[in-house]
Amino acid sequence: MKKASAALREDRRRRKYRYVDRGFILLLLTIFQFFSCLPVVFEGGKFYAVNAVCFLGFTLFEWLYVAVMHLAFKKVNFELEFIAFFLSGIGMTLTASVSKSGHIKQLAAVIIGVVVYDILLWFLQDVKRVMAVRMPLAVFALCFLAGSFLLIRFAGSAINGAYNWLVIGGKLSVQPSEFVKIAFIFVGAASLDKLLTSKNIYLYIAFAVGCIGVLFLMRDFGTALIFFFTFLVIAFMRSGDIRSLLFICAGALLGAVLIIYFKPYVAQRFAAYRHVWENYDTSGYQQVRTLIYSVSGGLKGLGVGNGRLRYVAASTTDLVFGMVCEEFGMIVAFAIVISFAIITVYAIRTSRSAPSTFYSIAACSAAAMLLFQTCLNIFGITDILPLTGVTLPFVSQGGSSMICSWALFAFIKAADVRTYPKVFKTA
Amino acid sequence: MRNTTKRAYVLFALIAAFFGGLVFMAVSFVLNADAWASSRLNEHIYKYRQLATAGTIFDRDGKVLVETKDGERLYADDYTTRLATLHVVGDAQGYISTGVQTVFRSHLIGYNFVDGVYSAIKEGKGNDLKLTIDSDVSAAAYNALNGNKGTIAVYNYKTGATLCEVSAPSFDPENKPGDIDTDTSGKYDGIYLNRFLSGVFTPGSTFKVVTAVCAVENLPNIYKMTFNCTGKYKCGKNQYVICNGVHGKLNFERALNVSCNSAFAELATMLGTEKMTQTAKQLGFGTSVKVSGANTAKSYFDLSGAAKIDLGWAGIGQYTTLANPCHMLMIAGAIANGGQAVIPYVVETQTTLLPQTRSAINKNITMTAETAKKIKKLLRSNVENYYGDSRFPGLKMCGKTGSAEVEGKRSHAWFYGFSADSSFPYAIVVCLENGGIGYNDAVPAANKVLQALRNL
Repeated sequence: MKKASAALREDRRRRKYRYVDRGFILLLLTIFQFFSCLPVVFEGGKFYAVNAVCFLGFTLFEWLYVAVMHLAFKKVNFELEFIAFFLSGIGMTLTASVSKSGHIKQLAAVIIGVVVYDILLWFLQDVKRVMAVRMPLAVFALCFLAGSFLLIRFAGSAINGAYNWLVIGGKLSVQPSEFVKIAFIFVGAASLDKLLTSKNIYLYIAFAVGCIGVLFLMRDFGTALIFFFTFLVIAFMRSGDIRSLLFICAGALLGAVLIIYFKPYVAQRFAAYRHVWENYDTSGYQQVRTLIYSVSGGLKGLGVGNGRLRYVAASTTDLVFGMVCEEFGMIVAFAIVISFAIITVYAIRTSRSAPSTFYSIAACSAAAMLLFQTCLNIFGITDILPLTGVTLPFVSQGGSSMICSWALFAFIKAADVRTYPKVFKTA
Repeated sequence: MRNTTKRAYVLFALIAAFFGGLVFMAVSFVLNADAWASSRLNEHIYKYRQLATAGTIFDRDGKVLVETKDGERLYADDYTTRLATLHVVGDAQGYISTGVQTVFRSHLIGYNFVDGVYSAIKEGKGNDLKLTIDSDVSAAAYNALNGNKGTIAVYNYKTGATLCEVSAPSFDPENKPGDIDTDTSGKYDGIYLNRFLSGVFTPGSTFKVVTAVCAVENLPNIYKMTFNCTGKYKCGKNQYVICNGVHGKLNFERALNVSCNSAFAELATMLGTEKMTQTAKQLGFGTSVKVSGANTAKSYFDLSGAAKIDLGWAGIGQYTTLANPCHMLMIAGAIANGGQAVIPYVVETQTTLLPQTRSAINKNITMTAETAKKIKKLLRSNVENYYGDSRFPGLKMCGKTGSAEVEGKRSHAWFYGFSADSSFPYAIVVCLENGGIGYNDAVPAANKVLQALRNL
């Protein structure tokens, strides 16, 4: 009896502590966002009401989300959400400071992202349900990607040399490959879960080859590489067969060599790699500016709105890491990208106690996809890797990327034992 | 299930690769930050790729040579000073690569890794620099060039502080001529070159000092030797080194006074290729030093495969020999300073970029105190007994002229020397490119500059 009450008290203390903890982190987040939004709202001595409302709305949304999830749905862990809020907040501040009108869109993207995240979390709760939709989803995703490509190729136009933007009604631009990323993880983790039949594996390989093939046709080589890497992670986690994976890699390399041989324009796009300073006004323009302005910000940053990288094309999308370096400082910028490594460690750890291999594989492959994309982005714009033009998850401006990033977080979150207490109990 | 989760550890390889890349990035940021931030493409600092936001550069009296006002780079008030200090200060585009404004730009823009360019954009300027340059002496030197191409430099041979370092042709940085890059008449040849640091010229008779050093060190009876000048010196069949006069019988000292080619060609052939090469090397030919961060051009002396006639010509500073004016100034400095050649410097402010600039000895020039004393005596004799002290009133000068023959053009007029007066420890080099005769043209120019300095 005495023992039990001590345990109860301990439990209550811990709950209280956790409660304070969550509120405290959210408060810190709010303070950070408040100070970083000031230069945007009061830019040039004027008051921008719409942007003020957007920032206020975002803060309210964060608090409400945590409150509702905690009180109504008894959720206790919000680590991933906090990280996502932090990253989205920085991206949104920079987006708003470059384009006042882009702010609303970006806020909407975050809210849609959170909704997608929660719907997906709810959906993933039931593994049977997951298994039931994987085939239709694979077919739909592939058709969507191929259809988008055909539409862009023959009815639309290339943007920056790639056919990866679907413009709807002249206003709304969507990147179909971002949505297919969600399906790619979903289908991959589900196909290779329980039914270890060769048919399943072949179907998944066919799906992967189809997706990567269309991405190549779209000339979106960065995303193609992300898909290929994720495919390797999923295939390895499922089979553990390093030899066949090496075989696949060798095949892919051979394919890449053949493509470069027959389609020289592919190599042309990467010609500036490690030669950006010689091509500072042409093919190395963005990388050189990123390097110059990243170090111009120093460790502490010049403050939001005081940068110069903002005047370079794609500053808030592909080059956003450089903008964070310049305006928030290198410390914040490095913290942002390191958080993707921390998330990957978190995914590896939670996957050990996940209720099913589906969750393990989904969490690990989603984290790997995000971290790999982060590598391609930040090392690409700083000329450590060839520039492939992929976004930095959560931080880069853009709805498709934002929604996809949140959706990928759902896979990671789903593996956490605290997410589905009931599923875990029955498992 | 267990296998699957174990395989998840393969992702640590990705994490390791990520951190590897991140460390690589951080290291390259740290190592290249200064160079990248001070790149001409950085619009925090440069406007239209021209330096706009940077600290002030002062001359030694605190007169402004260049400063940023309201985001624009403004140069000295006086027109002649602007032209006279252009090469040492540097231009806004950085074409004059040895200019202080270019070499010290990361200091001037006030960049540091912690704060970035914050101070530059907040205060509209960076860190200041004070130079050792005197704008009045520089202006006098620019006028003394008298429209010639060439260079005049003066430095304190004890400390290395450089008072003027003028190079022509020059231009007004506030009103740059539009035809610089299109002109074909040659009037702007090498306009972006600081001839003092980056130029090399045929030294002519100024090189006789090197031959004299070689003779003093290798011929014990040199002071007892007599030469007979018939107007030319025979080096092999039908091959002659032509003299600038018919000097008749003369000793070593007199031969240097009148700059007798016959005597020095004879000395050179007597000393031989090996000894001459050794002395040239010992006096710093073929080496370069940093003058406040800018590398000097190397003087050139090479006798490999040279015939006797070539050796004769080389002994009087012709053949393939080339001399850098800054190097010649350091040789004069070494002679004046007991054999120790102090390296010139122009930046007075101590910066992290160049912590110690003062009184650095050029180790490439080795001269014994004894040799220095002997040569000093000879150079004093040149002025006393030949050029005339009246041409350097009140200065107690030592020096040597030169009229370097150049194929198809007027000769280069040279003078380099120093004041033996310890209260006026300055050495000077004058090189007028195709400017005539050292005795007639370079000596008056040197005097004008030194008088301007003396009368400050």
